[in-house]
Amino acid sequence: MPCERKPMRYGHSEGHTEVCFDDTGRFIVTCGNDGDVRIWESLDDDDPKFITVGEKAYSLALKNGKLVTASSNNTVQIHTFPDGDPDGILTRFTTNATHVAFNSIGSRVAAGSSDFMVKVVEVSDSSQQKTLRGHEAPVLSVTFDPKDDFLASASCDGSVVVWNIEEQTQVISWPLLQKSNDVTNAKSLCRLAWQPGMGKFLAVPVETKVHLYERGSWDHVSTLSDDLLAQPINVVSWSPCERFLAAGCVGGLLTVWDVNSKLCVERQKHEKGFTVCSLAWHPSGSHIAYTDTEGCLGLLDGLGTSTADNNRTKVAAKNPAKDYDDLFDDDDDRLMDEGLSDTKSPAKKAVGWDDDDDDFLVPATGRVKNRGAFLDDENSLDTGSLKLGQDKLGDDDNDAGSSVAPAAAPVVPLRPVYEGPVPTPPQKAFQPGSTPAHLTHRFMMWNSVGIVRGYNDEQDNAIDVEFHDTAVHHAMHLTNSLGHTVADLSQEAVLLACPSTEELASKLQCLHFSSWDTNKEWMVDLPKGEDVRALCLGQGWAAVATSTLMIRLFSIGGVQRELFSLPGPVVCMAGHGEQLLVVYHRATGFDEEQALGVQLLQLSRKRRQLISGEPLPLSQKSYLSWLGFTAQGTPCYVDSDGVVRMLNRSLGNTWTPVCNTRETCKSKSDHYWVVGVHENPQQLRCIPCKGSRYPPTLPRPAVAILPFKLPLCQTTTEKGQMEEQFWRSVLFHDHYSFLSSSGYEIDEDAQNQSQKEQQELLMKMFALSCKLEREFRCVELAEMMTQNVVTLAIRYASRSRRMALAQRLSEIALEKSNQMQEEEQEEQEEEPEYSSTRRSSGYGHTDVTAGGRYSRRQNQQEEQEDEEERGEELMEEEDRQEMEPEEATETKKRVNPFAKEAGSPIKPSPTPIGKMGRANPFKVPGSGKMSASSGQPRVTNILDNMTSSKKSAQLSSSGGKPSKSPILKPLAPKPKTKTQSTLLQMAATKTANKKVQENTEQAANLQKQPDTPPPGPPADNSENKRPKTGFQLWLEENRKSILADNPDLEETDVIKEAMGRFRTLSAEERLSWTERAKGQSGDAADLKKRKRAEGGEGLESENEKAEADESSAKKKSSLDPSSKLSVFAFNQN
Amino acid sequence: MDASEVEFLAEKEMVKIIPNFSLDKVFLIGGDLGPFNPGLPIDVPVWLALNLKQRQKCRIIPPEWMDVEKLEEMRDLERKEDMFTPVPSPYYMELTKLLLNHASDNIPKADEIRTLVKDIWDTRIAKLRLSADSFISQQEAYAKLDNLTLMEINTIRAFLLDTLNCMYKLRSNLQ
Repeated sequence: MPCERKPMRYGHSEGHTEVCFDDTGRFIVTCGNDGDVRIWESLDDDDPKFITVGEKAYSLALKNGKLVTASSNNTVQIHTFPDGDPDGILTRFTTNATHVAFNSIGSRVAAGSSDFMVKVVEVSDSSQQKTLRGHEAPVLSVTFDPKDDFLASASCDGSVVVWNIEEQTQVISWPLLQKSNDVTNAKSLCRLAWQPGMGKFLAVPVETKVHLYERGSWDHVSTLSDDLLAQPINVVSWSPCERFLAAGCVGGLLTVWDVNSKLCVERQKHEKGFTVCSLAWHPSGSHIAYTDTEGCLGLLDGLGTSTADNNRTKVAAKNPAKDYDDLFDDDDDRLMDEGLSDTKSPAKKAVGWDDDDDDFLVPATGRVKNRGAFLDDENSLDTGSLKLGQDKLGDDDNDAGSSVAPAAAPVVPLRPVYEGPVPTPPQKAFQPGSTPAHLTHRFMMWNSVGIVRGYNDEQDNAIDVEFHDTAVHHAMHLTNSLGHTVADLSQEAVLLACPSTEELASKLQCLHFSSWDTNKEWMVDLPKGEDVRALCLGQGWAAVATSTLMIRLFSIGGVQRELFSLPGPVVCMAGHGEQLLVVYHRATGFDEEQALGVQLLQLSRKRRQLISGEPLPLSQKSYLSWLGFTAQGTPCYVDSDGVVRMLNRSLGNTWTPVCNTRETCKSKSDHYWVVGVHENPQQLRCIPCKGSRYPPTLPRPAVAILPFKLPLCQTTTEKGQMEEQFWRSVLFHDHYSFLSSSGYEIDEDAQNQSQKEQQELLMKMFALSCKLEREFRCVELAEMMTQNVVTLAIRYASRSRRMALAQRLSEIALEKSNQMQEEEQEEQEEEPEYSSTRRSSGYGHTDVTAGGRYSRRQNQQEEQEDEEERGEELMEEEDRQEMEPEEATETKKRVNPFAKEAGSPIKPSPTPIGKMGRANPFKVPGSGKMSASSGQPRVTNILDNMTSSKKSAQLSSSGGKPSKSPILKPLAPKPKTKTQSTLLQMAATKTANKKVQENTEQAANLQKQPDTPPPGPPADNSENKRPKTGFQLWLEENRKSILADNPDLEETDVIKEAMGRFRTLSAEERLSWTERAKGQSGDAADLKKRKRAEGGEGLESENEKAEADESSAKKKSSLDPSSKLSVFAFNQN
Repeated sequence: MDASEVEFLAEKEMVKIIPNFSLDKVFLIGGDLGPFNPGLPIDVPVWLALNLKQRQKCRIIPPEWMDVEKLEEMRDLERKEDMFTPVPSPYYMELTKLLLNHASDNIPKADEIRTLVKDIWDTRIAKLRLSADSFISQQEAYAKLDNLTLMEINTIRAFLLDTLNCMYKLRSNLQ
């Protein structure tokens, strides 16, 4: 008889509790020390009705809609049930009553009291009382004979007495119990139980055994015991089918015996081992409710299936036997006794059965036979789980087994408990941000947009929609005639759905309030037999998960879109922008765990699955309680243990716990009901709920904000704190890269801010480790830093006289720069492809802006790389000439003018003149953006960078041009490779180094003039400030040969080709080129400076010219690599 | 100083509101306010809360003490004690009046709260009169009263000063 023990739940305050079922079995009714009687619709009922009956309730009994309670004011009162209206006082005692009981038909109530008396009162007329005196101590319990003749009571004086009610006399008294002076001191509550129906037996719990006394003869006919029962039995109760007897003991063990066989068929341990002080069978016999002295309520479920099965088999297969049984039950008590005593010992039993096979017609044997069969059933039912040797026999051959198996049973005590993993009931589908559907007033949705409330009481069935931001839409009140149960809300629409009824199909209703036409509503019927389970709204789409394991997508206007199947029943869904997150049951969970899977889909133009059905990690024994996205679009969820987890896209789409809401709860039963997550600022918005999991609709709950905290170790220490801050910052700013990669606009200031914050934290940790003499750790930290911060770290190290550390750090810096360069090159190769894919998706004008955004991001990346590169340069320089620290920071702040384009993917295309007509991604947003951003201090746009570069070029010239002049020209003609241009930036920014550079400039310039006439002046200009790399030199020398080989190559292709060739050179060769490059940067000349200034002026004038003449042809000509501009510039020189 | 001035001072008290609009930080002489996020509680001065409320831009969350049970407790204590008991807020009367007049729909059991605060007020004013009476009748030179709010002082000031002046005159004439 495998049964399931449901988790206990809090019912009453600590102390004695009692439980019973109502007549229909619909409600569980409990009373406790808090003086309330609670009426539970089920164990999961979160909001039980309650009736206050007094300060304390000691006992209760329920029959025919009358609830009788013994309360602390020494009365026994009646309340109507289930309304709970007081219906008078039945009787009074001089002290409190300890136990009340109804008779079988509910006409009389017996009450035992601490004043040694037992009273029997007519329910209809409380004046008709019978008082049974004779006990010499407080009465522990009372029970009626089902035939209403007798009454049994147990008392603290150690006696169990049977009374004749009419005569008010003792029939028999057994001194069975230990004596005590009060109920509270009694070892056992000794709740007696009379077998229902014929009332053949009276069950008396005596210590660890249950004695059965026969009615009439009052003989002790048998004893039920179990090896595992070590502590006194508190309470016994008969099953409604009269066959089983359940007992609950002080140690929390619950035992069920089959009285016929006297075998223990079920054992369950209370989950915390508290004393079971009351238990009650459901009228169907399928489950037992029990309560403990800590006020908790529990349920044993699943008894019904096996007992019912047994009953059925018994009835079906052994009809004659059943008849005999009845016969026997009615008339032949005596024989039964013999039968029972006969079968007391296992050996005898076996013999008895052997006999039975022969003789079928003797009632007693019929009974036994029947019992054997029943046991057989029992065994075969259990075999699957039991794996006891005996079961095999029972299984193999029923006839043989019937004789052997039961014989073996008592020897090896039957373990009816299946001890392996128990499957968890799968959690039901829900809408994140909603409260349970059974409530009359509930939240159907609370999200970052607004609140949908559902009312479903007598007068009103309505839905209220309210928006946090009234600018979105005004509040709405809808009558809920269709009975919608699930809802979602977005900036565009309200989506509602109702389950199907017998006539009506499941409906989906969408109030598309943001629609610009007059029709703001649409409705869709789902196919017959398909029910909506969960739904969600995204930007421009709606998704509905149905009972047929399907997800249907709709456009927000009501066009049906894709549909696909889910691998399991849906749990919940969430949408944000173009992302759809679905959680479903992947498999059956065991031991209270849920086995959930998650899918994340991107519903943009390029549909794809980002997470394909991976398991969703949950805390142990918890279930999913909220699912959604952060305001920035990162998937997030909360489990019932209050742990918030967020997707970490940079760590292979893993889930990182970012907060445990339970840690901030004051009491164990408090919870936080999450309504939203924000990454920037880092906020977890939730509603604190006192003593429940979700808030009531009234009074209107207020949102609270919780901070995030990664569960890192030792966060009390400074180190731990900084580590936590760093990783939290990294995690919570991860969304920038995702957003920009999917083409959203991002707040660059915030992003830079976050990067700065992270680097600052790294630097702090570095300093801390330095202080703690942890140099290895310093190096580890340095590896996480960006290039320029590493240089700072090097300075820090050298200043604190850690030369070894500084040495290592510089190695790291070198390594980093090399890596960077390699990456850049790779990137360059990849880029054309990248940009082309982007372009191929072209959506006209919007694409251009998106492209602009994209390239801006790209720039940023470049910028950083360049910065790092620059940092490296600085480092090298530091060796040669002690550089000013300020400079380093200065360079950091500065923006590299040309690196951008060099790195940006689109750069190569604009070079050819003929292609000017084609959209230059920089150009289109450029003209608009220029004017817009001209006032902005920070330059993130390439064009802005251009201006700044120009400025730097003009530094020495008088009055730098305001940045608004069109600077497209100098940008376009750049033929140089990326390496070159990155170096250029350095030059542009490193004004302090100018003197040193000057020579280089000159040298480079001089060299360039003859060699490469094509390159445009700006490139030249800035280029000559830097020493050339080996590759550049090599390229200059070999350009012609390349061009000769491939005359039709464009500039970019030339560089690519050149790069390829340079790579094929041997290491020595390359080295020699590098040497040469180094050799070139040797001497200084002020001359160059002037020249450059003039060049800048020339540029400027050229720009002005261009400004005046806006024809593209003109631009083209000026953009030509061999443009007049360069000639002009050099001429001036 | 008259009552409206005291009320003006009370309007500087902070109160929690739930805005239904979105606005960046506003920089004011008295300090920065915001940012305002729809649906997210935020502390603002009463004057702003009332202004926003009148424009239906927010819901006001009543201060913690503005709760029937707490006020009942306070009223009972006030009645029991002979001395003035500490009040929940130095501007309890003003705040109650302002909030209940303008935002009674956001305050549960507004009527009960109004009655309770009035009760407390009446009790305290009665005590104040009583102490003024004993002060004068015993011809004391000074008296010390704790836990008085500005509004209460303000109510009795005009009367008490005039009375004392008058009595001084009478007494000096007498001699």
